[in-house]
Amino acid sequence: MRLVAATLYALDIPFVESFKHSTKERSASDSVVVQVRDEAGSEGFGEGCPRPYVTGETVEGVLQHIAEDLWPAIAERELPPLAEGAFLSLVDELIPRREIPGVLSDNASRAALELAIVDCVLRREGVSLRRLLPALRSRVAYSGVITAGSPEKAAQQARQMKVVGLTQVKVKVGLDDDVARVAAVRQALGPDVSIRVDANGAWTRPQAVAALAALAPFGISAAEQPLARGPVSELRALRQESPVPLMADESLVTLEDAEELISAQAVDYFNIRLSKCGGLHRCRQLAARAAEAGVRIQIGSQVGETAILSAAGRHLTASLPEVDFVEGSYGTLLLAEDVSSDAVRFGHRGEAAVLTGPGLGVRVLAERLRKYARRTVELPLGGAPL
Amino acid sequence: MPFRSDVEGLFARRVAELTESSDFVALESGSATRVDYDRFIENVFRCHTKSPHFLAFLFTLAPPEAVPSITHNLLEEMGIEEETGESHPSLLRQLAVEAGLSDRLPALETRAQDDLRQVIVDPLLYGTLRELGLAVLCEVVSFEYMLSRVASRIARALEKHRGLSPKALTWFTHHSEVDIRHAEQGIDNLEAYVRYYDFAAEDALTICEMTLREHVFGRRYFGELGLGLGLTAGAS
Repeated sequence: MRLVAATLYALDIPFVESFKHSTKERSASDSVVVQVRDEAGSEGFGEGCPRPYVTGETVEGVLQHIAEDLWPAIAERELPPLAEGAFLSLVDELIPRREIPGVLSDNASRAALELAIVDCVLRREGVSLRRLLPALRSRVAYSGVITAGSPEKAAQQARQMKVVGLTQVKVKVGLDDDVARVAAVRQALGPDVSIRVDANGAWTRPQAVAALAALAPFGISAAEQPLARGPVSELRALRQESPVPLMADESLVTLEDAEELISAQAVDYFNIRLSKCGGLHRCRQLAARAAEAGVRIQIGSQVGETAILSAAGRHLTASLPEVDFVEGSYGTLLLAEDVSSDAVRFGHRGEAAVLTGPGLGVRVLAERLRKYARRTVELPLGGAPL
Repeated sequence: MPFRSDVEGLFARRVAELTESSDFVALESGSATRVDYDRFIENVFRCHTKSPHFLAFLFTLAPPEAVPSITHNLLEEMGIEEETGESHPSLLRQLAVEAGLSDRLPALETRAQDDLRQVIVDPLLYGTLRELGLAVLCEVVSFEYMLSRVASRIARALEKHRGLSPKALTWFTHHSEVDIRHAEQGIDNLEAYVRYYDFAAEDALTICEMTLREHVFGRRYFGELGLGLGLTAGAS
């Protein structure tokens, strides 16, 4: 079976509230959704969220890369059969490796295409992604995220998370009032909720040492990306001084990054994200390597991701033996409208059931994609110039 | 008293957001297009045509103190409080028909039903009916509060700029400023609910804040969004 058509949607779905961290404020999603169709008419949907400050990818760059580099190389090629045990690996190999000047990795493009192909093949066979990634648990429990607003706003968000029953919360830090914000959150949540912080690389090492020492008394489970992506020796040195376990996010994009971080014993946690890390196959490779090395993991998400990435993230999470923290599946808690007819967002206590429907387990509504697409690119056979 | 004043302050802020929004200003000033007016009417229909369902739900959860007024509201919505009464959904249909939107009614009815279905199938953010009931009651009362302050303005705008007759606008006049006492009773009911079900005032206010996120009225009336009922609020 071969792919015969693809459509790219650059989405612009408004948020119900803006989302802010130390380096960026967003008020709308900017995902790229890939829709593929095979010669039998089966369709699949994948999604990537380009982040210039993470992988170096942009929305326009992803559209161009998929249209001009990746799609022409896979259109009309025979797709791997589902029966193969190494199906995800074969799909990863099907997508050509291309270096782009100025781009750390084309992982958002690869993730979008990989998920679309996987979804398409599974839908054609009428089976769930669970066939490939057997679930080790029936439910996944998600964390809440408190954005980088005032301490009063943070306390208000924390109270909301408390009444929803969330047991894990992440607080964005890297601003002047971090201590006051985290103190307000701890006071609102009480002692039983796990709190971790995420600086998005805002600190220098001396700043991080001071900040983490000041935040540690509030009971911080982990500090995500305290330093900007750079030499792992800096993270290693910080880890030796930090009273809080460290987590790599922007510093963990590729398998090579993982090896370097493991070799330097630079962090306690990896934040593995589908779009950032290049799709299901590569994320599972990272998770396996982390488990071997004794590095614990968080399965993270992209702010503004739609049901497509959330569904794939849930399958990935449910299939891994040990995951300490999970993010994502905010759905209409953040998006004015999601792209699927099925609700993927979490409910009370942040819990959501593992999805069981064909493919990724969500029914994507093409009319919603068209409604929120600020740009649509049809890719016929042979690719198309933009 | 703090809960009552806090929740009234919340309602007032949300009403101000609506009336100060560019969409509302355009509606009142006549600078909105015919398409904008029609979409507004469609959204009002979609937002409110299932109100009797939610009042029936609230009836089952109402604390004894609030039962008489919620029963009254429910019967009024269903048009069976008095012999000559008309149900509120039928007044909304009348609005759509008089606006020349009869051909849109089947699709609007379907969308409203889909919205209701979505509320039922979406995962619940709250652990018990106690919290869910507060969210639903808060949403219903907040709309009564808002309409008691702006329904006449909306009716005047639709009459002047969209050419609708007083008969077409009956739904708005039913909810207009004369209904302020009704809205006050709604806030009494919220207070009674919070007392009866032993809410901490801070938790109750938090649920109300989640239910009435920023621009909640504008998103419903101008933004093509379906029912929220606090179930789409939360933890971003």
